[in-house]
This record gives sequence, C-alpha cells and structure tokens, in this order.
Amino acid sequence: MTAPALPARYRVAARQDETRDTVTLGLQPVDAPIPAHRPGQFTMLYAPGIGEVPVSISGTGPGAELVQTIRAVGAVTRALCAASQGQLIGVRGPYGTHWDVDGAAGEDLLIVAGGIGLAPLREALLAALGDGDRRRRVVLLIGARSPEELVFARELAEWRRGGAEVEVTVDQAAAGWTGHVGVVTQLLGRADIDPARTTALICGPEVMMRVTARDLLALGVPAARIRVSLERNMRCGVAECGHCQLGPLLLCRDGPVISYAVAAPLLAIKEL
Amino acid sequence: MTCPSGGASGSSPVATACAAAPTSSGASAADLAGHAFLRGMPDGYVAVLAGACRVVTVGEGRRFFEEGGTASKLWLIVSGHVALDVDVPGRSGLILETLGKGDLLGLSWLVPPYEWQFGATAVQQTTAFELDAAAVRAACEEDPGLGYQLLRRVMSEASSRLQAARIRMLDLYAVSGEARDGS
Repeated sequence: MTAPALPARYRVAARQDETRDTVTLGLQPVDAPIPAHRPGQFTMLYAPGIGEVPVSISGTGPGAELVQTIRAVGAVTRALCAASQGQLIGVRGPYGTHWDVDGAAGEDLLIVAGGIGLAPLREALLAALGDGDRRRRVVLLIGARSPEELVFARELAEWRRGGAEVEVTVDQAAAGWTGHVGVVTQLLGRADIDPARTTALICGPEVMMRVTARDLLALGVPAARIRVSLERNMRCGVAECGHCQLGPLLLCRDGPVISYAVAAPLLAIKEL
Repeated sequence: MTCPSGGASGSSPVATACAAAPTSSGASAADLAGHAFLRGMPDGYVAVLAGACRVVTVGEGRRFFEEGGTASKLWLIVSGHVALDVDVPGRSGLILETLGKGDLLGLSWLVPPYEWQFGATAVQQTTAFELDAAAVRAACEEDPGLGYQLLRRVMSEASSRLQAARIRMLDLYAVSGEARDGS
C-alpha cells in the first residue's frame, strides 16, 4: 500500500521522557491511520507551523498507537519533544526499507545500537523475541554516552526476561556503574557469536556503524548478512526531492536499512 | 569494597593483600591454550607460560591492583568483568574502561618502570589466569620467539584499546553540528 503524501492527524496519547533531550511519544490516529509499517521504517512527523522531520518508528503501543522516539536537536524536534498529551501532530508514511527480521529466521540475531540508534531497532528486537523458537540467540549490544543517556533503560530487564542477551556499554561512567565502559565494538568479542549463523542489525552514528561492521567482517560475518540503517537528509519520503541521495540510492526509498555489502563502498567515498 | 591493605605492594595484590578473598589453583597448558588471547600460540610456548600461571577467582568488589603499585602480575580473564579506574580529586573512582572474558588485564608489567597506571576492581566475580610478570619477562628474554608471539598479542590488545579510546574521544553520541532535525 502506498503511503499518502499528506500527513494524517495524530494525537499524542502518551509521552515518556527517555533522557534529558529525548522523548518517546505514543501517537493515536484521529482519522484513518497510516498504513501498517515494518520494523526499521520511518515516518515524517509534522509539528504544525514549524516543520517536518523524519523519525524512525520504535514500535506499536498497547492501543495500536505508533511509538516514536525523538531527540531534540533543532526547532522541529524540540517542538515534537515538547508536545503534551492531547496535542495534534501530522504523520506521513511509513517510508523506506525495513530490517527483514523474518529473513533472519533460524539464525542468531545480533543487534548493535549506538545512542538513539536503539529507537529503530527496538521493534526489530521485539519481533525477534516474539518468535523466539524460530531463532537460536538474540543478542543486543548497546552503546551510549553515559548511563543517564541510555534510551529505553526501563525496558532492559523485560527484554532480558524475554530471552535477549543484553549488554550495555557507556563512554563515561562514575563509580557505582556496574555495566561496561568502552565502545560497543569491544563487546563483540565477548558475545561469542557464531559468524556462520549470525545476522547483524546495526544502527547508530555512522562511524560507530562502520567500525562495528569492520569488526564483524573480521570475525567472519559476511557483509551480506550485516544490515545498517543510514541517515541522510530525508525530506519528501517518496524519492522525489533527491535530498537523501547517497550515490545511486535515495535513502528514503532504498534505505534507511541497507545491506553493508551495498553500504560499504558508498561510505568509503568522502564526498558522499 | 577495597582490599583491606590497599593492594599497592609489589607482591600480588590478589594473592597477598586480598588473601582471604580469592581462590586459586594450578593452570594446565591445555586450559591456558584455550584462552582467546593465546589462540594460535605454539604449544611449547604455552607450556612455558603455564609454568608461571595459576587460576584465580576474585570476588565482586575486590581490587586486582592499585594505581602506583608494582605491576608484578598479568591476568587473562576467563569470566567476569573488571573495571579500570582512576582517582580524580572530587570525582572518586572514575571508570576508564571495563574488561571481560578473553581480555588481557594489565599492560604495565611489560614496560618499565613496571608500575600500574590505573587501578582495577572486579565488578563481578572474576576468574582469570594469573601469570607472574617477572617469570614471563625472563622467559621472553631467554626465548625471543616466545617474546615475539607474546608481544604481537599484547600489541594487538593495546592497539584495540587505543582505537577504542580514540573513538570515544570523538564523542559520537553528542549532537553534532551536522545533525539533521530528526532522530
């Protein structure tokens, strides 16, 4: 089903502060909802009178609402983060490619998230835990700047109870922190992954994704089974405006999720 | 929890300063050869290292060593989780990095003046192969082949940690000037 080009009206039904600058909103449709989405896709969220931004979908809430996690980094995202319950916002989408969790059935799933990169991976994780007997292991490695800047921290225990092996590492920590300190790639060697039977999903800052993919390749995971979620300047969402071009790709249509076999040569070109 | 005596002496902080806490036993060459750090090392060299090695288990919160102490041991972590820390006035116990299964704990034992640059605490109960640094250095002097094999591995570990430290210096998770207005 093609996503409509005009935004649908959604009402903020729930909001949860994740960190000092990141909020998760639960959005209920006022009229007809947007078409069903797949884990890893994104929507364009419109703050009335201010502007529109691409935001990845984090999941589906208990009332079938869209769950979207937003970090305040500019005027539009600040307005969205400040939205209170009952406020109306516009939603277009869903757009882009997805993680294809079903395509990794029967394999180990390794999910590597950096910072707010956990937001588009959350629903892939939930989908994998929901069909637990179809795969051997679900490993989630999370990197964050500090314990205070970890998103979805309240859900980690539940994910572990659901069968996920969850490890968290931070760049900076004070005494009392009992998790790891270091970059997320340092957790890879300790995760005992079986490279021949692992599919990896990676989302985070581009440098983090590159070094994670590089280390996974060194461990023997084929590039074709490493998927990354790339960001460029998504504007239209329908591959018309060209703002999100990455070489031959328009990432709002051909991404954000692409195979590292495709991404690697493009990310090696500085001009892109 | 800190070692009662601080663990900053030249002898093994695990074996002496925390003598009541850790348990230890001998290590076989076969056990040692299975550690990720020594993967691919010729059996003869592993046997030499096994002669200077024992297995220790250190309880949660116990100190492996203290900043400024003599670096007389090195550990190959088998299980558990160790934090490297540093005391900064007003910011006690800052954790620099954590190490876990398959990692080498301790680099200063190889470089004069053989003095720990940071402290180390078992964040959770940790089992490791503990090697006597003086004996390992002497074995390397005696057989440069062993020295080369060991140095390659230490260099690989040090290089990985240097790269990780550089990546952390980038502060990747901060909002950059190029960040678009979205998530």
